Amino acid sequence: MGDNDDVTATPDSSTLERPGTETVVLTDVPWVTIVWDDPVNLMSYVAFVFGEYFGYAKAKARRLMMQVHTEGKAVVSTGSREEMERDVQAMHTYGLWATLQKADQ
Amino acid sequence: MSYFRSRRKGRVYVEMPAFSAMLVADLARQLIELLSDGEMTDAADVDPLEELVAMDVPREPPSDPALLRLLPDARTDDAEANAEFRRFTEKGLRQAKIDAASVVVRSIGELDPDSATGEAAVEFELSRDDARAWMRCLTDLRLTLSARLELSADDDEETWLALPEDDPRGSLYRIYGWLGYQLESLLEAVQH
Repeated sequence: MGDNDDVTATPDSSTLERPGTETVVLTDVPWVTIVWDDPVNLMSYVAFVFGEYFGYAKAKARRLMMQVHTEGKAVVSTGSREEMERDVQAMHTYGLWATLQKADQ
Repeated sequence: MSYFRSRRKGRVYVEMPAFSAMLVADLARQLIELLSDGEMTDAADVDPLEELVAMDVPREPPSDPALLRLLPDARTDDAEANAEFRRFTEKGLRQAKIDAASVVVRSIGELDPDSATGEAAVEFELSRDDARAWMRCLTDLRLTLSARLELSADDDEETWLALPEDDPRGSLYRIYGWLGYQLESLLEAVQH
């Protein structure tokens, strides 16, 4: 907070700096991929997809599948928005219904 | 009895009655048609500029419940972000599903309806990737049928199976159940 606050058009040293700090702050809040329960998909298939796509061990894939089945949904991955968009699209390709949202919602 | 047997390197050997194979191929063709609806699929006919402009049009969710289940919303919290997501991904998602269904059609091949009776069987082998395309296609077919039948989590099987014989929903439900059994069998062969 200096005397130059009102001189908005004057480039200061930060103008030429690589943007970075702000981006880091924005991506600080992670995004999540949520898979929702549906009456159609087979439990064995859902567990298979979690193992195959995310590389989760059998026990974890099964636990997440059971969470989807019993609680109606489960967070299956966490990361940047772009990564979650990729995961959601992959889930849709497998026929699972997935959505993405900010982790703090 | 399962039609799918695991082979080396993730390959799957399939031997199924010809009339069953014809049914699966026919359903896969219908799925391709459904997913191609309203889309520019023939590359030769597409004006590159038109295609570019189409990329910029925000997409509304499909009004057909079956298409909406195949191409679901990715954002339930933000309609604008949802339309944006569709704009950039829906075309690719449709194509991925069309590709999987095309693998199914191709691996079954052309069958002569007259010879696809009684004991006649078809045999073919699926690569590791083809087997996965089959699983995704069988899933997409079940999703489509479930939307057509308006299946819900509260439904019990008995009600569906008790429908009168002339009710077309009864046979659709039996196909739906049969596809589930096939998917389960294929999954077992893949994970063997």
